[in-house]
Amino acid sequence: MPGALEFENLAKEYRSFASRRRLRALDGFTLQVETGEIFGFLGPNGAGKSTAIHLAMGFMRPTSGSGRMLGQPFGYAPARRRVGFLAENVALYHRRAQRLVRFYGALNGMGGADLEKRSRDVLGAVGLLEHAGRNVGKFSRGMLQRVGLAQALVNDPELLILDEPTSALDPLVRVTIRELLLRAREQGKTIFLSSHLLSEVELICDRVAVLHRGRLVRLGRTADLLQSTEQIEIVARGISDTLFPGAKTENGFVRYAVPSSSQRAVIEKIWAAGGEVVRLNPVRRSLEQVFLEVTSTQETATKAEKA
Amino acid sequence: MKPVLLIAVNFVREQRWPILVLLLWVLLLAFQGLVTEMPRERDDLLFIFKQVAVYVVVFSIFFGGSAIYNERRSRRVLAVLAKDVARYQYLSGLVIGVTMACGIYCFTLGLTGSWTLGQSGFQIRDVWFLMACLAAASALAGTVALMFSTFLNPFFAAGATALVLLAPAVLERTVAHSLGIVVPTWELTATVVKSSFDSPLKISWTPILLAIVETVFFWMISAWIFTRVDIAVAVE
Repeated sequence: MPGALEFENLAKEYRSFASRRRLRALDGFTLQVETGEIFGFLGPNGAGKSTAIHLAMGFMRPTSGSGRMLGQPFGYAPARRRVGFLAENVALYHRRAQRLVRFYGALNGMGGADLEKRSRDVLGAVGLLEHAGRNVGKFSRGMLQRVGLAQALVNDPELLILDEPTSALDPLVRVTIRELLLRAREQGKTIFLSSHLLSEVELICDRVAVLHRGRLVRLGRTADLLQSTEQIEIVARGISDTLFPGAKTENGFVRYAVPSSSQRAVIEKIWAAGGEVVRLNPVRRSLEQVFLEVTSTQETATKAEKA
Repeated sequence: MKPVLLIAVNFVREQRWPILVLLLWVLLLAFQGLVTEMPRERDDLLFIFKQVAVYVVVFSIFFGGSAIYNERRSRRVLAVLAKDVARYQYLSGLVIGVTMACGIYCFTLGLTGSWTLGQSGFQIRDVWFLMACLAAASALAGTVALMFSTFLNPFFAAGATALVLLAPAVLERTVAHSLGIVVPTWELTATVVKSSFDSPLKISWTPILLAIVETVFFWMISAWIFTRVDIAVAVE
């Protein structure tokens, strides 16, 4: 079964007309986003995330490689009828919110009572129904981002491509949007989410990919990435935390993270000291830790390569 | 066709303030018509009419030359082209939008001209023919500007458009008289400028038809170029 979004060995090079300098924003980028998943697309600034999204949307032409969106080549306009897109910096015409959403729906071939109802529904879903008659030019950035999301949802898309959809939102609205995205997944929709809010990504994404300097450096299921197979946390009682450097005492329990290869030796040492092992937990890292680890490793490798 | 019309109407809506400012000139002409002592000052009135008429060609270059740039700079183009809208449809919308904006101006100027110049003996039929000339000239000028703006900034696009539109005037004087109609904006504008109470207007539809054909031709070139442009790259 073809993926909802497929990048095949895609490269994009920006050329400066004046200085003839070249910047490779994407390099040999291959990725398949499966239908019905929420996919987190991560990377530091300038990693090439937006470039990849813009290539998928047909805003740019790749230097080499190809890609497919909902089974059609990138840039094929009719395929976009089934896609919802929210750009990183939302820029919309200054119209009343509901008229604006209707305008974007009509561009996708919608019309009549269906569009009228749908525009009200999506504005309600993003919490802006009471502002439906206000001009978006007077909206705050967060409200603008919500209207942007409403216009992306108006055509009931099969694939949602969202570039930083919650960056300007307050925590309450962020929860609403998160629930909205989870509901969309339940309905079988695919969501491709680029975000710097790693805690959000960690909460909702089934899989994540990390991009660094235009290359895909990590790809996997979120749960697998967060699970550290190398570290085990040993929870014990009846011993002093001074027995192991770096151990901490919490509520009378001593917690100590050790490499899984040395857990046996540590447990024996606890027993020898008269302590009792209460629990062994595989260490679960945060996505932020994974991200920082991946990007710093890549940065070091790049510097070493240059040297 | 629906997205094309939506984009066109939206363009006119976005340009409503410049269009309204343009219409103030028409209002000025109407005011002049009220205070002019006919038929003694009718030549002055015709002079103002011609002057106000020619503005629309200049404005069509500004409209066409800045449309894509403004949309790309504000990044509003992304939300539009993220829908089921092909690049050629987007450009068609802009071409029709520029033509509609100029058409509104020509229509109101035609109404005012019919009233003011009609009173002083100018054939009303001729006023509307001149407006057709202007509308065709401005549609072509706007489309040429739009074509250049797909790869140049508005300033250079306006300059390049002026060169293309004025080239026939130079060719007419230096090479052959018949070359004046190659890009007929010059010819059509000259028809408006040369009109007078004394000499009857020579009505020829050929330049108008040629302007329409060339508008389609330049739109096709624009679409071909624009399909190859990376629109998400900063225009600055």
